[in-house]
Amino acid sequence: MTDTPQTFHTNRRRFLQASGISIALPWLESQAIASSPAKTKRMLLISNNLGVLDRYFFPEDSGANYKASKYLEPLQIHRSQFTVFSGLSHPYVEGGHSTENCFLTAAKHPTGSQFRNTISLDQYAAESLGRQTRFPTLNLGINIDRANRSLSWTRDGVLLPAIDSPSALFRLLFTNGTEAERQAVIQKLKRQGSILDTINSATNSLNTRLSKNDRRRLEQYFTSIRELEKRLLDSGQWESRPKPVVDEPPPTDITDSARFIEKFDQMLTMARLALETDSTRIVSLMVDAFATGVYHYEGDTKSMTGYHNLSHHGQRDEYLRQLETTDLRQMALLSKQISTMKETRIQDESVLDQTMLLFGSNMGNANTHTNTNLPILLAGGGFKHGQHLAFDRERNSPLSNLYVSMLQNMGIATDQFGSSTGRLNGLNF
Amino acid sequence: MPSLQLPIGITLLLSTLCSVVRSDSPEYRTIQSLASKYCYECHSEDAGTRNLTSLVWNFDDPQAFTQWENVFDKVASHQMPPEEVSMPAIARQDFLNILGSTLKQRDREKVDRYGRGTIRRLTRSEFQQNLRDLLQLPHLDIKDFLPVDRESHNTNRVSETLDISRVQLAAYLEATDAALRQAAASELVPHKPTKIKFEAINMFQSAGTFGGTEAMFFAKDSKRVPLSGAQLNEVRAAKPLDTDYELAIFRSATWPYYGYPQGFVASQEGFYKVRFSARAVLQTPEFELIPAKASIPMTFRARKRSGPDVSGDVRATGGTMDVQPETGVFETTIFLKSNETFEYSLLGLPQPRAINPPNAPLYYDFPPMPEGGHPGIAYQWLELEGPILSAQWPPDSHAILFGELPLKAREKGSLPFQLASDDPKLDAQILIYRFIERAQRRPLSKAEIQPFLDLTIDELTAGNTLAEALITGYSAFLCSGHFIYTTDPTTLKDRSSQDYQHALAQQLSHFLSNSRPTQALTRLAQSKSLAKADVLTQQVDLLINADTLDQFLIPFTHHWLDLKDVWRDESDDRLYPEYRLNDYLIQSLQDEAFTTFKLMVRENLPITTLVDADFVLVNDVLSKHYGMEPQSGSHLRKVELAPDSPYGGLLTTGAIMKITANGTATSPILRGAWVMEHLLGTPPPPPPADIPAAEPDIRGATSLKEQLARHAADQVCSKCHAMFDPLGFALENFDILGKWRSRYRSLDTGMEVAGIDRAGHDYKYYQGLEIDSQAELPSGKQLDGIHDLKTHLKANARQLAYALATQLVVYSTGTPIRFSDRIEIDRILDQCADSGYRTRDIFHAVIQSRLFTGQSRD
Repeated sequence: MTDTPQTFHTNRRRFLQASGISIALPWLESQAIASSPAKTKRMLLISNNLGVLDRYFFPEDSGANYKASKYLEPLQIHRSQFTVFSGLSHPYVEGGHSTENCFLTAAKHPTGSQFRNTISLDQYAAESLGRQTRFPTLNLGINIDRANRSLSWTRDGVLLPAIDSPSALFRLLFTNGTEAERQAVIQKLKRQGSILDTINSATNSLNTRLSKNDRRRLEQYFTSIRELEKRLLDSGQWESRPKPVVDEPPPTDITDSARFIEKFDQMLTMARLALETDSTRIVSLMVDAFATGVYHYEGDTKSMTGYHNLSHHGQRDEYLRQLETTDLRQMALLSKQISTMKETRIQDESVLDQTMLLFGSNMGNANTHTNTNLPILLAGGGFKHGQHLAFDRERNSPLSNLYVSMLQNMGIATDQFGSSTGRLNGLNF
Repeated sequence: MPSLQLPIGITLLLSTLCSVVRSDSPEYRTIQSLASKYCYECHSEDAGTRNLTSLVWNFDDPQAFTQWENVFDKVASHQMPPEEVSMPAIARQDFLNILGSTLKQRDREKVDRYGRGTIRRLTRSEFQQNLRDLLQLPHLDIKDFLPVDRESHNTNRVSETLDISRVQLAAYLEATDAALRQAAASELVPHKPTKIKFEAINMFQSAGTFGGTEAMFFAKDSKRVPLSGAQLNEVRAAKPLDTDYELAIFRSATWPYYGYPQGFVASQEGFYKVRFSARAVLQTPEFELIPAKASIPMTFRARKRSGPDVSGDVRATGGTMDVQPETGVFETTIFLKSNETFEYSLLGLPQPRAINPPNAPLYYDFPPMPEGGHPGIAYQWLELEGPILSAQWPPDSHAILFGELPLKAREKGSLPFQLASDDPKLDAQILIYRFIERAQRRPLSKAEIQPFLDLTIDELTAGNTLAEALITGYSAFLCSGHFIYTTDPTTLKDRSSQDYQHALAQQLSHFLSNSRPTQALTRLAQSKSLAKADVLTQQVDLLINADTLDQFLIPFTHHWLDLKDVWRDESDDRLYPEYRLNDYLIQSLQDEAFTTFKLMVRENLPITTLVDADFVLVNDVLSKHYGMEPQSGSHLRKVELAPDSPYGGLLTTGAIMKITANGTATSPILRGAWVMEHLLGTPPPPPPADIPAAEPDIRGATSLKEQLARHAADQVCSKCHAMFDPLGFALENFDILGKWRSRYRSLDTGMEVAGIDRAGHDYKYYQGLEIDSQAELPSGKQLDGIHDLKTHLKANARQLAYALATQLVVYSTGTPIRFSDRIEIDRILDQCADSGYRTRDIFHAVIQSRLFTGQSRD
């Protein structure tokens, strides 16, 4: 974390000016003003922790006239709506699969004896934006080992467990909670509110003893109390406000982990619903391929071995063919997601124009356990797309630079995240 | 010395104090007439420079004050007016006398009225240490709930920078709640500790590890016993268990690796006692074990049982132990979180590398065997007991919150117990008073405590349990201004008051122990004797000699000497294959620099130890690194140096050389500027924005000296670079990790050096251009390498002392050096001059000074 309290402070201010009113209004009205001056931006951040076959992912030539690679074929109908990147990685994030928890954090040396993870992109964005929606972020997973893996990490490097059940997620998003659950949350908020009241009056009595300069210094403390009080109030209001209504029926969970592609499809739909109802603006989604055993890669045909073993293909033809089919099906899902997001509109904007859809992986090549030259693709979000942005494949550029561009696109005034050295060159708003 | 040096001497010349400072005052008229002669020609409206004609003669305006201070410094250091204006010495002296005395007087008036500084928010590490000490939870980890504090003036303790925001405040709410819950009993009755003994055959979870047989095997009678997974299970299942096996490990705990005992996870967070038997060995080509020639250091790593791929944090724990060639029993304490295990982490040993054969799965290969065999450790058995509980139940931390109230089974609430109380309101009142009396850092009145009591009673009335209501009340106190801010004693006028005494105690303890005052210190404040010179001296000595000194040294050296940045840059594996992933070396470098400064403070060494000494602190890996006589063991020891050794002193420690390089190349600019800023206390101005940074040519074609020739040639550049480039050039013989070198390494040019590194990777680099460490100072003085540089810097002992003294003032008071402080800094230095500017003396003089205590000791 390099951000400073002062920055949070100003962000908070600016946020209140820009969209503060929407907080106090019921959902429909808040949606009506969602397109207020500061344009709403969203993020959908997806990683498959075994990656894809690099040979079929990266186009050979770069620039706007690149020739689509095999994997980008299914996405060509959206050619002007996405950018494919090569030559990006997180510097010194090495250690094979151990890097999966660092995809959105860029924390160095995940296997070193001093390792502690750092804040992930989604949490950083949410922290900087303040609470504008019922859920500051949603963290989802497919077949995920919830205790050990997540894309989402707190400032102090604590794992935030992913939601892996679409039906539970649906309830969370669209079914109003029980009175007891609501009361418990309201109780905690009330308690924190009382603490704020107490420290306000207690510190006031301290204030009277202090000199002019000290009092000026302490003014910040009182401002913080007032701002935090308002946030607690906002949180309380979310609890008492009805949740949005959607046409879609509640999903039924697919319990067979071998059907991971169908599960991925289902979770993408849920992510889209969460975004288009403005339940949240930031969604992360880890496809835990590592934890996926033998699976149906094509219809009812099962893979020869578990996903992880398959990814160590050792150039065996049959392994490669099965991986290729798997990868292509995931690319088709992405294409479908982009289509639906393009068709769905919030006011005068498509969900796609609002949403930065990031797809990538912590593995550059799962066969050789390398964590450089990561496969990265970014669609939507109002960027100028339609190119292959190629960086040095020998000396990679930091993937965090892309994250800085995304944060700035989200309206967050920062020029630093993770191991960034600035914004990503060549990607323009 | 470079001419940017602060004009300390000049402030001493100031004599008269003007009483009235108005814009029509005679002082201003003199300043104006001098300025119109020597300054206004350039510094006027539309001249494209700072306009001095409009600078108001009003020192209540903080901006104007700073600008006048700037003018003073520029003129005093002869940076202004430029040479071609040729200001006569007498005019300069007049100008400086008048402006200087005005600035000093006006600043002193402000200090006398309001104090030197303001209240200061605790840093997050102070906040955590306060909670650790208050709650008696020495390993409480809540620091990371809170945002990182910003750095300015080479510390993170400047009041003006320690802001607070709603994010910070929300974090305090969460952090204090978490800390208080951790202090409360974790169960109604204590958990029974686990005790397990692992024989060698059960000390590793599998029959092999990455890197093959050479990385690890089981042995009997010092010979390898090949075991398949199935055979291993058979041996493990046999009764009685075969205790003649040894477990032999020869690799580092770098990825991919998982070397933890079979079938153990910690059921509970806490400390575990570990005893084990082991010896240092060498592996022969026939997989036999022979005694090693030297000890091998090891530690444990706490982590989840997640196989080779790590999830969650990884922490070295249990300290470093040197395993000797003779079998010995070791005992240590390790900290584990629940669901964690621990693995054997052998320090400084090789690591296998991945091989990707075509049409076959990848595998891991071990690097070639060094002469004598692969060093490693053979283990015989390991015993584990824990978690270690406090002697009584509930633990001390619990009693701090809830006194002696008995526990009862939980009926409601979120804690694992409830408090049995006949009169909860009365108990709440007693306990709140008791807790705040302990937590406060100055005596609070009943009225000041009342809001916290009211809150607790309200919570109780609302139906919460007594324990939870108390936690809410305590949490409020720990988030209140009383707890998170400290007072600057110089702001308190009544020096005989208790408040002043307590503020002084707080400032002192947060300075030298990063935490709240001890009871003894508090008692001295209560008896109003702390401010007495002899008492203060005694207390400072006690704090310097206490174990808590590291709590000061770590944050102080992390920022002043940038020791936090030791891990910042990775060594370039192409040029420096021997440094590849050598965490043990880097950790040792950091320890060496840290301990060198610690020795300076504890043993009151001369300040010149910053730049030179006749000893160096080394262990096994450092003695090798510095090319000295080999030492055995991981602990640092003092080794005397030959007079011609380039080492000795903090400046030439590998840590400082690494911090001032970038992992690939060294930069005389950065090193020179670092010396100016950190050791001499005279930071050069920031580089101009439109000039690209000099990039060393690691292809080896041109030397940096040729590239930097422009710095000397160009007048604009040379103004600053002439001061610090030479200092850096004299350090060029130290490579990116401080190892002595006579040539630059390059990727294409020179004499080829090739081999296989400790990770089994092939390497090839070239010994390129010869190093030229000669340089010329602006004075014309020639510096021929490191010895001349050391002599030159040692001759400026006062300046080195100045750098430390000012840094101590900023760190301890949270207020950067003010104009009126300069004369006091000079007095501090004068006091230390006779004994040759010794380190501990400087600490004493700073703490006795008006800047720290607010009292002049004339």
